[in-house]
Amino acid sequence: MIAIPITGGCQCGAVRYVCESLGRPSICHCRMCQKAFGNFFAPLVTGIGITWTRGTRKFFHSSNSNTRGFCADCGTPLTYEHETYGIEIAIGTLDDPDIAIPQLQVNLHSRRACFANLAQTPEPNEKQLESLSKWNGQVINYQHPDHDTTDWPPKSFSKP
Amino acid sequence: MCQKASGAHSLALVGVEDAEFEWTRGSPSWFASSNAAKRGFCASCGTPLAYDAPDGLALCVVTFDEPDLITPIIAYGAEGKRSWADGLSKLAEHHTIDDLEDAPFLATLVSYQHPDHDTENWPKQREIE
Repeated sequence: MIAIPITGGCQCGAVRYVCESLGRPSICHCRMCQKAFGNFFAPLVTGIGITWTRGTRKFFHSSNSNTRGFCADCGTPLTYEHETYGIEIAIGTLDDPDIAIPQLQVNLHSRRACFANLAQTPEPNEKQLESLSKWNGQVINYQHPDHDTTDWPPKSFSKP
Repeated sequence: MCQKASGAHSLALVGVEDAEFEWTRGSPSWFASSNAAKRGFCASCGTPLAYDAPDGLALCVVTFDEPDLITPIIAYGAEGKRSWADGLSKLAEHHTIDDLEDAPFLATLVSYQHPDHDTENWPKQREIE
């Protein structure tokens, strides 16, 4: 079930949005999406009726016809946009990415060699998990939570 | 954390370890995503570039000019894995050419992305809009 309202934003919380509804979720393998997301592919979903509720995104003109929106403070890739054809949202920036499960993959010519086997990548063994757990225990997360907030960042943060 | 930082379902990183490494043009901006680590990105276009933690600097695999040289060998953070992540490689395939009718701009698209090799001068002279 899709949570209403559909909200999301960047890692640091400087840029937040709300959407009326979502269109088709997909993953794009093109080299431009790879670079823009720093990732093997870009999971994108059409955002319908978007309102930017906190801050503004910065744009990079990635081609003569499209722009890509990102947060200038933390770098999170947020959108892929075309003046006429609208805004595609980075699925990982949704507060609940599970409401936009990709349905198809596009731009197959640029698909990376390792993509087909990513799901088979081994997970850490017990010893590695133990050391990770020790590390995780010391970490204080500065990421914006997966819901809207009245004030951000919280006063309790004493960031470096 | 990696999901939000990359706007995606996971982030592929490779440790620099004791290899020689330098930023050869410009320098990244950094966001302290926790008390222990910071994430480097390009302030001009937002591309996620690096993750710097006490155990060393790691770079985003796909930002290498030849990413196929690096295949991930371990998957961390399984507790945060999206239930649908493992099925992505089985998704229906869609060819770009099929979108031409719905998105005709694809036919005349000119990429402004930096090429996958070093350049003397960047950006090249270009006409935006």
